[in-house]
Amino acid sequence: MPIPFETLLPYGIMIVMFGATGTGLAALKTWHNEGKNPRYSLDQWDRQMQQRDRRLTGSITGQVAQAVAPPGFELNNPWKLEKRYS
Amino acid sequence: MSTRRPQFNQTVLIDTTPLPDDIPKVQEVGASSAPLLSASYFIGARCRDYNDDYMQCKNENPGRGEFECLKEGRRVTRCASSVIEDVNKHCLEQFTNHWKCLDNHNHQLWQCRPFEWRLNKCVFDNLKLEKKIPDQPQNVIPVEQRPQQIFADRKFRSIEGKPFVPGQEAKQ
Repeated sequence: MPIPFETLLPYGIMIVMFGATGTGLAALKTWHNEGKNPRYSLDQWDRQMQQRDRRLTGSITGQVAQAVAPPGFELNNPWKLEKRYS
Repeated sequence: MSTRRPQFNQTVLIDTTPLPDDIPKVQEVGASSAPLLSASYFIGARCRDYNDDYMQCKNENPGRGEFECLKEGRRVTRCASSVIEDVNKHCLEQFTNHWKCLDNHNHQLWQCRPFEWRLNKCVFDNLKLEKKIPDQPQNVIPVEQRPQQIFADRKFRSIEGKPFVPGQEAKQ
């Protein structure tokens, strides 16, 4: 006895919905990491190197292999400010 | 550098005042984290004396190293910059492959050994700099010369190259 096509409609909806969210999240992850694999298990050293990469290239995942930094690099290191509690 | 990290900081201050003229200028190293990690052992091989001088100066001037050790610090920066420049000049392809692999594998050296062997060979042939991890036990094969890595995501195939052992190629 053939299965009526209405039986398969929920499966179609589930596949489309899960597919849409999965593709969307994957695209978001790729965009966020600029097409590279994401970093994980980062410690303080890795984070400050990422901030240095951001100062050099404009994004924390960017990489550049010049021997000499562009002019102004030695002056764009930010100092973190905080409110003084007294 | 203060030992206490700022809490709840909302703003940053970027001070663009250049150094006074009586301090000689030095060009900063322009390589980002992955190329620096890739070249780190060669920087260590060539610049060991300068780095040791700098650390000795910092130890001898506790708390005032930033002021007293500017000369040694400039030497460290220039030496590291020269290594990056030479590696870029002579081994651009191997160097780029290795740091791109590192950048794509969470900066874990053991994931990129085949690229590293090629880079080590090129740098040893052209610049005479040898990767040597200091203070390792003598009775085992150094970790970068083992054909397989325990923690790597994949097995390295034999067509990807053999581990590079400095001085062994010349004998064959």
